Amino acid sequence: MTYYIQELKRIKGVCFSNKVQIDIAVNTKKYIDTNFDKEINLDLLAHLRFTSKYHLIRVFKKYYGITPRQYLINKRVEKAKIFLKSGKSVSDTCYTIGFGSINSFSNLFKTKTGVSPSIYRKATFDKSRQ
Amino acid sequence: MMKIKIVSIPVRDQQKALDFYTDVLGFVKKLDVPLSEENRWLTVVSKFDQDGPELLLEPAPNHFEPSKVYQDALMKAGIPYTQFYVDNIQEEFERLTKLGVEFSMKPTDMGTVIVAVFNDTCGNNIQLVEEK
Repeated sequence: MTYYIQELKRIKGVCFSNKVQIDIAVNTKKYIDTNFDKEINLDLLAHLRFTSKYHLIRVFKKYYGITPRQYLINKRVEKAKIFLKSGKSVSDTCYTIGFGSINSFSNLFKTKTGVSPSIYRKATFDKSRQ
Repeated sequence: MMKIKIVSIPVRDQQKALDFYTDVLGFVKKLDVPLSEENRWLTVVSKFDQDGPELLLEPAPNHFEPSKVYQDALMKAGIPYTQFYVDNIQEEFERLTKLGVEFSMKPTDMGTVIVAVFNDTCGNNIQLVEEK
């Protein structure tokens, strides 16, 4: 057995031995992955895992390093980039990924990527057509 | 404004590494620029993210002894030099095993991820990761 495998076993024992908590975190992530375009809030996520909002946030952050809301935002921005790159308009992209307001979508997109959705679309979609 | 565009990995033989990383792993050659002597500025990218980060196949162990010592020590300890993400690690494990790739660690559950480690035949252990 290599040193690395021994270390992984040790780390698994220390960090990943609570199966109940891991199931809560993993299943919450999976739900967000497949329902990112729908209305998602903490009440719903907590209800789905039969736990409290506060416990859910704590457990999710413990295993993924960010809150469920931050994860949802990252997922939506990641999907938005794919849609914009494929040529979808900014407004269509905004509503497709579950945002209700173009302004809030644009601001968030710019915060996360450094450029506005329209500039991102122009840079990536136009490039792919050249 | 800084961006992370290239990460490098040390290899003993650049051509052998290019063959392995493209033909076996499925990456795509992005840049191949001749440098001094037989060295090349050689990068590969994921077929599915060709504008994404490039992996530089760097012949450092052949020219800088400490690089070789470090690479050998990681290999001996089974420690991955870097890691690549896959959608389905079991499928990738079976595909690569059929192609003769040697795994020092089969797909192993690590809580929120599943990981496996293989030998890239160029002096490195590489970890595959599937996020649950």
